Amino acid sequence: MRCWWLSMVAMVWLVTGCSKPDSEAGFAGLADSRDGSLGFEQPAPGDVLVFPEDFGAHPAHRIEWWYLTANLETEAGDPLGLQWTQFRQALEPRSTDATPPEPSAWPMQAAWMAHAAVSHQGQHWFQERLARGDLGQAGAIAEPFEVWLDHWRMAAGDHPNQWQLTVSQGQPGQQGYWAFDLELSVKGLPVAHGDQGFSAKSASGEGSMYFSLVDIEVTGTVTLADKDLNVQGKAWFDREWSSQFLKAGQQGWDWFALHLDSGDKLMAFRLREEGGHFRSGTWIPRSGEPRALSSDQLQLKPTAGSGPVPTRWRLQVPGQDVDIELVAPEGNYTNDGLFPYWESPVSVSGSHSGAGYMELTGYNN
Amino acid sequence: MTAFSALLSHYRRHPWQGIALALLMLMATALWTGIYHLTSQARASLSQSERVVEARYQVQRVDGAALSVEDFVTLRRQGLCLMPWLEVLPEGESRRVIGVDPLAALCFQGQADVVSFDGQPLRGDPFMDIADAAALPARQAQLFLIVDPDTGELSADYRITDFSLAPDTGQLGDSFLLNLDALSVLVLLITGLLLRSVYLLSLSQRRDSFALLHRFGVSPRRVRGHLVAELVGLAALTLMPGILLGQLLANALAGGFASVMEGLFDSRQFVTSGNSWLMPALVMVTLLLLVCAVDWLIPEKLRKAFAVANRSGGLSLLLLVAGGAGVWLAANLLFLFGSVALMLAGAGLLMPWCLSVLSSRLAQASKQPFRRWWWAEFGVLCRRLALPLVALQLSLAMVLAVQALVTTFEATFDHWLGQRLSADYYLEVPTDADGQVAVDWLEQNLPESSGAIWHRVLRGQGQLDVSGHEQSVDIFAVAPVGALVSDWRLIESAGQPWQRLAAGQGVMVNEQLAYRHELAAGDSVQLTLAGQSLRLPVLGVYPDYGRPAGEILLAADQLPDDFSVSFESFSISPGEVDIEVITEALSALWQEPALTLRDNRSIRDLANRVFEQTFMLTRAMTMLTLVLAAVALLLMGWVFLSTRLWYFRLLAVWGTARTGIFLSLLTLALTVSVSAAALALPVGIGLTWVLVQRINPLAFGWSLPLDLYPGFWLELLGLALLIGLCIGLLMRRQLGRPAVRPSVTGTITGGER
Repeated sequence: MRCWWLSMVAMVWLVTGCSKPDSEAGFAGLADSRDGSLGFEQPAPGDVLVFPEDFGAHPAHRIEWWYLTANLETEAGDPLGLQWTQFRQALEPRSTDATPPEPSAWPMQAAWMAHAAVSHQGQHWFQERLARGDLGQAGAIAEPFEVWLDHWRMAAGDHPNQWQLTVSQGQPGQQGYWAFDLELSVKGLPVAHGDQGFSAKSASGEGSMYFSLVDIEVTGTVTLADKDLNVQGKAWFDREWSSQFLKAGQQGWDWFALHLDSGDKLMAFRLREEGGHFRSGTWIPRSGEPRALSSDQLQLKPTAGSGPVPTRWRLQVPGQDVDIELVAPEGNYTNDGLFPYWESPVSVSGSHSGAGYMELTGYNN
Repeated sequence: MTAFSALLSHYRRHPWQGIALALLMLMATALWTGIYHLTSQARASLSQSERVVEARYQVQRVDGAALSVEDFVTLRRQGLCLMPWLEVLPEGESRRVIGVDPLAALCFQGQADVVSFDGQPLRGDPFMDIADAAALPARQAQLFLIVDPDTGELSADYRITDFSLAPDTGQLGDSFLLNLDALSVLVLLITGLLLRSVYLLSLSQRRDSFALLHRFGVSPRRVRGHLVAELVGLAALTLMPGILLGQLLANALAGGFASVMEGLFDSRQFVTSGNSWLMPALVMVTLLLLVCAVDWLIPEKLRKAFAVANRSGGLSLLLLVAGGAGVWLAANLLFLFGSVALMLAGAGLLMPWCLSVLSSRLAQASKQPFRRWWWAEFGVLCRRLALPLVALQLSLAMVLAVQALVTTFEATFDHWLGQRLSADYYLEVPTDADGQVAVDWLEQNLPESSGAIWHRVLRGQGQLDVSGHEQSVDIFAVAPVGALVSDWRLIESAGQPWQRLAAGQGVMVNEQLAYRHELAAGDSVQLTLAGQSLRLPVLGVYPDYGRPAGEILLAADQLPDDFSVSFESFSISPGEVDIEVITEALSALWQEPALTLRDNRSIRDLANRVFEQTFMLTRAMTMLTLVLAAVALLLMGWVFLSTRLWYFRLLAVWGTARTGIFLSLLTLALTVSVSAAALALPVGIGLTWVLVQRINPLAFGWSLPLDLYPGFWLELLGLALLIGLCIGLLMRRQLGRPAVRPSVTGTITGGER
């Protein structure tokens, strides 16, 4: 999904920063390489998803992430948006069954990054954390499901479909402290995007493995400015991994995950590139099988913006009679970390109503 | 031909004068640019080195076990902001490297940067990525976990203690930087004087051209306008090369500095500045315009009134006295700096006046016509070369002050380090451990023959009764009082202070306490320790280098049994004994597996290297100023004396041998330059006094000792002689050439004919 662009930038940063000359040399050609020339495995059409293993890490792949967005409501009925993402960036490939390096060597085969953000009443809270892999400071386990970095953690509870997500920043009682502690109740099965989970990212075939949990009920507490807010609502969870980066000429990424009031769900993205954008999506009906949407089956266009960032969009899926307008609330929802990008809730109006999340990358440069 | 091109034609006829002018301007620009860069680099280097050695906090295991990556992970997962710090002494190397994890450091720095740590690249100087450090074959390796103590509660298995590479230099560093800034301003003043003298020189060189233009109806105002345009044009030509030269100069000096700094703890402490040409360019253009416009900025009536007021030296004296009084009475730094400026202005005005009056008195007193002529010529020289002479005087004064200041700082740092780090090792007594057990062991196992020296320090609080008011003071009780303290430099002392302290016959007080309560050696203090009242004489006052708390040092035997000890430590120089033998034994006796031991030698080495190099930069900076002032005087003396050749030729007409004329010239040049140096001495001493005795107490509330270095005065006099000699030798060449008529500086109408 949308972290594609972010991952590419992050990878350049890590590769140049973490001094692996061979990786750096191989990097430039990697975007066109189908098999991952540095020994990383690369997803291809025909690959299938394997559960529960695919909830865990894929050390043979270069990039992956676990991602959750939630459209919540406080007891007062105010909307509250929430995001949590954890990335893994490998600097060296490692087969799935290989023995990890000793933690005492402080290895740097992979770096982890976690982002958390809350959007409420026009304000945006964001924080990021970094860690090196294989120490135990950060990691992901498929079963029992757990993804963590420091004390930020998403993990399955007693029941495999009951998860908990806890994030806190700062010290309670101190200025700038914020936190969330959520119970996630996962409904339904994972939805595979693209071709049985292989999601193409360009017309020439680059892509990733991508699946989502689109129906998650959320309850819990969000603490902002020393106030505990009880919240409830819906969440969307993504898993994606690959070893390829954006194609040369691709400038950024616009991604949407929508909960329509009709009970249907819709994921759509476009990769901006010179001479036409690459679009893709998945229509997930309330009942029935999800349908992959190809470039010619959906239209996605910005209609207005706030500065360089388009905050108002028109999304059309003619085959499903969808013609909707997506609008971000007033405010600045830039995740101002190492690689700034826009992450905001959106409201849905038009042929359908609802709510969702929008991620826009590549507008800052 | 326009008036402007007529003006410029002078340089077609006398290209060397134009080149000399441009050269001076270029050098002045280069000097200030170089100094600007060096000052900012010295500031950045000092502050960065301070940041590297700044106090941090570390986590230790309560059970004394060595920390591991598991501890790091455990604590990070508890939410603490924590970063690993792996100190490795690689095999075959003498310097440590420090492995850090920039990703973990994000929570300290606010933003992640995987290619550097604390602004320093991860190239092993000393910082490198922790994975690379862990992979080095190591003689020693120890993992520390640096913690931000405000980020959460520690579990009971861990505790937080201080962690620092070196003692905090605190106000010593700040004080030095403030003095650097003051000196930088002084250099700008000297540069301004030099530029002004260049401007006046350009007037004096073209007296004939001005007179001619005046006769053709060109107004003096228009001529001045053309002159300013010419100077601005010249500045435009010389500014950029000057700035570039200054940067090259700074980088050349900095290069040497940086290479030495690399040796420091393998640390690249030196901060190279970026492309900061804008500030020097702006400052130099502003300065140039001010220097040229001063004739318009100050109305002629006022200038004449100044000249009349100073005819008998009254104005100079008034400025000097007012400045001196201001310096003495100044209650804040701004007022103090203003007063120093007044004082310098007074001294600058007074010097040419003094020399002029002296020469005319001596000329009048001389019965021999030749001698009378010589003194009159000396007076003319002093008046005409007033500005470059004042610049040289101030440069010499500044070099003198900086030499004294830097040497004083070096000595102070040395004493400060010596006092704080007198022993090779510093060992903290763990909480709840009995220090007496260690004393017994040390007495038994470290005989004098082993060369080991040690003492125990007990810290606590006492009450000092001063004029009926009780004040809390820090108590430092030492036992045994020995070589580790007896070589402290005392500000004042009674006879045999250390022997008497050891015998329990008195106490030592720190500088702050003595200053605040006007205590001196021989006075008595009323001290209450654990409810027990003692009246003891003050045996000495020791420097505290800015520590604001009142301190009393006494022999441990004088402490009452129920004195509450808040902190206890041992200072140990183990001599031939291995420190590990000592720590292992004490660790076993105290049943405390993790002792806090600090290696004072490496800390001292680190601190010394940092400061030595910063001082080197400061000296280089002032020497550059002196060189420029000397070259300026050399060039101007040469150009100006050339205009006096007409008179010297008359001497030949009157029958004086050419050697005799040369000797007259030489003695004139030597007397002028040595006079400037001699008159620089009192200004330099005054400036030193202001820097160490006035600026420091005002800014920081404590003073540095005023040490003067007469040997250096002689060196400066020698340098002044050399400048005079060079002028004389240059003139010797001129004597054989055609002479031009004498000129009068500052006059452009030709009316004096």
